[in-house]
Amino acid sequence: MERYDLLIVGAGAAGMAAALGAVRGGAARVLLVDRGDRLGGVLPQCIHHGFGLSYFHEDLRGPDYAARFAALLADAPEVALRLDTTVLELSADRTALLSSRAGLERVAFRRCLLCCGAREKPIGALDVAGTRPAGVFTAGQAQKLVNLGGYDLGRRIVILGSGDIGMIMARRFTLRGCEVVMMVEQAAAPGGLARNLHACIEAYRIPLRLRATVTQVHGAARITGVTVRDLDTGAEELVPCDALVTAAGLIPERELARALLHGGTPPDWLGFSGNCEHIHEIVDSVTVQALALGERMAKM
Amino acid sequence: METRDVVIVGAGLLGCFAARALAAYALDVTVLEAREDVCTGVSRANTGVIYAGYDTQPGTLKTRLCVAGSRGMAALCRELDVPFSRCGSLMIACGEKAEAVLRRKYAAGLENGVEGLRLLTAGAVRAMEPNLTDRVTAGLYAPGAGTLDPWALGIAAFENAQANGVEFRFGQAVGAIRRNPGGFLLETDTETYQTRAVLNCAGLAADRVRELVEAPLVRIFPSAADYLVLDDLSRGFVRHVIFHEPEEKGKGLTLVPTVSGNLLVGPTERDMAVAPGATAAAGLAELRALCAQIVPDLDLDLVIRSFGAVRPNPYYVREEGGVWQPEARGIPSFTVLEEGGLVSLIGIKTPGLTCAKPLGDYAAQRLLAHLGGAARRPDFDPRRRGIPNLSAMAETERAALVLSQPDYGRIVCRCRGVSEGEVREAIRRGACTVDGVKRRTGAGMGRCQGGVCMERVLALLAEARGVPASAVCKDGAGSEVLHGTL
Repeated sequence: MERYDLLIVGAGAAGMAAALGAVRGGAARVLLVDRGDRLGGVLPQCIHHGFGLSYFHEDLRGPDYAARFAALLADAPEVALRLDTTVLELSADRTALLSSRAGLERVAFRRCLLCCGAREKPIGALDVAGTRPAGVFTAGQAQKLVNLGGYDLGRRIVILGSGDIGMIMARRFTLRGCEVVMMVEQAAAPGGLARNLHACIEAYRIPLRLRATVTQVHGAARITGVTVRDLDTGAEELVPCDALVTAAGLIPERELARALLHGGTPPDWLGFSGNCEHIHEIVDSVTVQALALGERMAKM
Repeated sequence: METRDVVIVGAGLLGCFAARALAAYALDVTVLEAREDVCTGVSRANTGVIYAGYDTQPGTLKTRLCVAGSRGMAALCRELDVPFSRCGSLMIACGEKAEAVLRRKYAAGLENGVEGLRLLTAGAVRAMEPNLTDRVTAGLYAPGAGTLDPWALGIAAFENAQANGVEFRFGQAVGAIRRNPGGFLLETDTETYQTRAVLNCAGLAADRVRELVEAPLVRIFPSAADYLVLDDLSRGFVRHVIFHEPEEKGKGLTLVPTVSGNLLVGPTERDMAVAPGATAAAGLAELRALCAQIVPDLDLDLVIRSFGAVRPNPYYVREEGGVWQPEARGIPSFTVLEEGGLVSLIGIKTPGLTCAKPLGDYAAQRLLAHLGGAARRPDFDPRRRGIPNLSAMAETERAALVLSQPDYGRIVCRCRGVSEGEVREAIRRGACTVDGVKRRTGAGMGRCQGGVCMERVLALLAEARGVPASAVCKDGAGSEVLHGTL
């Protein structure tokens, strides 16, 4: 069985920085694993600017931000990289079961850092009634399909929730010639960053409906519209659309650790970094946190 | 024109099991399905409960088939390689009126021959299910009840029938049926089929299919029901199927710990005001309120999906002023109509899943009687192997599989641990939509509901079928996932 000082699960912004931090902290053998086929996690699909403003003092796009760290990792022989590889389970005996086309492999490690990011709340978790037709996407899923797949999701789009990915996708859809009919937000204020509100919503005059929500999805095979309810007046309105994108919050992805938690506390050899630790507003703070944590775990 | 012995209209659970039963005989059998896949209608959206057999009137066909189906389910599921959990059911009362219902059901169960039934005290119920409300006053335990995924059973029967020589034709909605000297001539948009006998298992459309050739007699007046599905983090919250018998008039709550570890909560009972399969906001709110009463500690933040089920309620109808009106009461037993070589199963609802095999066998026997019998096929094989289920395999077995077939090493759906190999195998076996893959592998049924894997499944479907991704459907014609490629 191969043995490593540190196993890092997830090679997004957090995992890449943590691996470099671990090398800085003296780790000789780091294993960085990702289920995807490229480094960077969600960064490659974030083709907008706004990355690296505080860390690099430059305005980078997501893929460029990821490329900076990928270049550093290429020069770090201490870090072994396995892409297209899924960690199936972590065991209390400090081994992990890895699965890839190359086979099933168990590896041993001294410490482990989960950098698995976050998952998006699906429509079914949102208490929205009606049918379940095609044409309903989460914002991150939409971002990947549009930016990496080159697909078109619809021509008239409603976005439920006003988180940052939702706002960025509203602008993206608009730039691609689709009409964002409405962005609907339950709260009295938008959920995302002020700079995204200005740059993505206000600049493109996208209608933002605060204190409102989608209560029902219509359409048998493909979505034909949604019912939007005003939470103050109770008034409901049928809004025709051919796609619904939900941007209703992220949940830290910590499932691998679940079997190892005792009363909510992980064992001392296991850590969390990036969005699977808590949801960060900007990637730069993920990088800073993960570098420090990777270094600290290597020295432990 | 080639003459078939039997044409089955509808490839739901019943159509598939009737086909499997007929496949044991030297007969030429074709199944015509309007949709693109099996089990896309009434069959797929229900609680998945295998009933013990105390709910129905003693002496009816329904009761006889239900008790037989329940008893034989474990053996059937072994034969067809379908996961089945005989977890037992617990019907609970929170007051005297409901307790009286439990005693009545207990008596009916004894008369029906249900084994192992026990009336329980409140203390015994709470010991078995500590997460139930402390307002429980009594329980009725049925160890023979259980649960499975209904579509999994139907798909298994389809594959087994197909492997034994039954022909399945999809996209074949029957638009006309005519009697002729040879039996029947059936027409679809593209084909005609001559057959000696017809089995009508068209689910929600079974009354309309029958009326293509017969006068109205029984019609379906569907009602709908809402359900919530909880993340498998709810695994173990209850260990038995729980039926809450309401004390006041209204619908009780059913909790089903599914074979995949999810918890199913339902159903409401309402008119089918919205489209089939749709949920109603009021229904979902009602379920949440019922949960607060019956299982106050259940974390409803774990809800990952809701769905609407359809109940095909059958009623005898009579003509009044040119309109076919239902009689006041629905038909309590299964409706099996035999009309000169046309056998119709109309409005088969609960416990239709439990009865799928015995009812399929029964329909097959009726057809055989009409055809004057047929020889048994010596090469009929009732066994079917499912798609390899990686999550259920031992590590060494799994390693060996990946070594021989690397696609099984690449995980597509992280929530359920489904590999590319499983998805490819599902497609090879007939899945042609994203939901078809989901029903066969579980990809997209986990906590992220396909947020991550849908794109991969889409690509694999497009590749296998030789079409662009924009042509791949979620669930049936017209449900293209994408809007095109810019």
